[in-house]
Amino acid sequence: MNKTVTKFFTIADYEEEEEWLRDQHRNGWKIVKITPPCSYTFELCEPEDVIYRLDFSNKEESEEYMNMLKDFGWEYIGQCVGWLYFRKPASETKTQEEGELFSDNVSKAELVSNVITTRMVPICLIFLCCVIPNFMRFMNGEFVGTFGMILGLFFSVMFVVYVYLIIYCGTKLKRIRKRYED
Amino acid sequence: MDDKIKRIYVPMTESGFYILYCLQTPQHGYGISQQVKKMTGGTVVISAGTMYGTLSKMEKDGLIRFSHEEEKRKLYQLTELGEEILAIEIKRIERVYRNIKGEHINE
Repeated sequence: MNKTVTKFFTIADYEEEEEWLRDQHRNGWKIVKITPPCSYTFELCEPEDVIYRLDFSNKEESEEYMNMLKDFGWEYIGQCVGWLYFRKPASETKTQEEGELFSDNVSKAELVSNVITTRMVPICLIFLCCVIPNFMRFMNGEFVGTFGMILGLFFSVMFVVYVYLIIYCGTKLKRIRKRYED
Repeated sequence: MDDKIKRIYVPMTESGFYILYCLQTPQHGYGISQQVKKMTGGTVVISAGTMYGTLSKMEKDGLIRFSHEEEKRKLYQLTELGEEILAIEIKRIERVYRNIKGEHINE
């Protein structure tokens, strides 16, 4: 039996997402597929404590990377907009590090920096170069007619969403990075 | 030696040091992590992502190079630059060790 759940995690919520997937597995639902932007397909299974970890990559991961993670006991589940999903039964981890993809703070902070440069920077650019100018044009009454109204409303919604995303993700990612840098 | 490389790697992280130390003989990522775990009595455990990231970076910076492949696993070994950096780090750690034992170093 399968179930599909729609749940939205921002790019700054990957640690919460890991915990959520672990909870699902504890309750007998293991993830089989993640469909962008926010749809999760689970399969009924024996309840088990399984650790879930996400890595972020802006490029196609090499065979070497996949093989190395397999050597370390990680099962690859799939990929979704740059995020790679892995899992490992908690019973196979003797130390905390064996249940982590990254064992030192330097590499944990690097993951956050990577997310900031490849995700936050484009979001800010789209906001500055597309959302703000069009929102201003709408506010100045430059969009006319029904189509203009729809376009204006679209950019107004985008304006709010982007402001929220930039403030929420920006501060949260910086906070996570700071936790590992101190 | 390139000053920039020296600035990045001296001093280096504990994982970085152990990885470099192990690569005096050719080894693959998982092998290194097992060796380090054994050497340190399980105190230093290097995770998969940290291992992969460190190896990629060290290869890019010319500290290590691809040696050969065994059962689809890439084995790496130190380059001359890697040996140089490792020697500097060992000397630094020895100095720290002697200092904390109360020794003064007169050169």
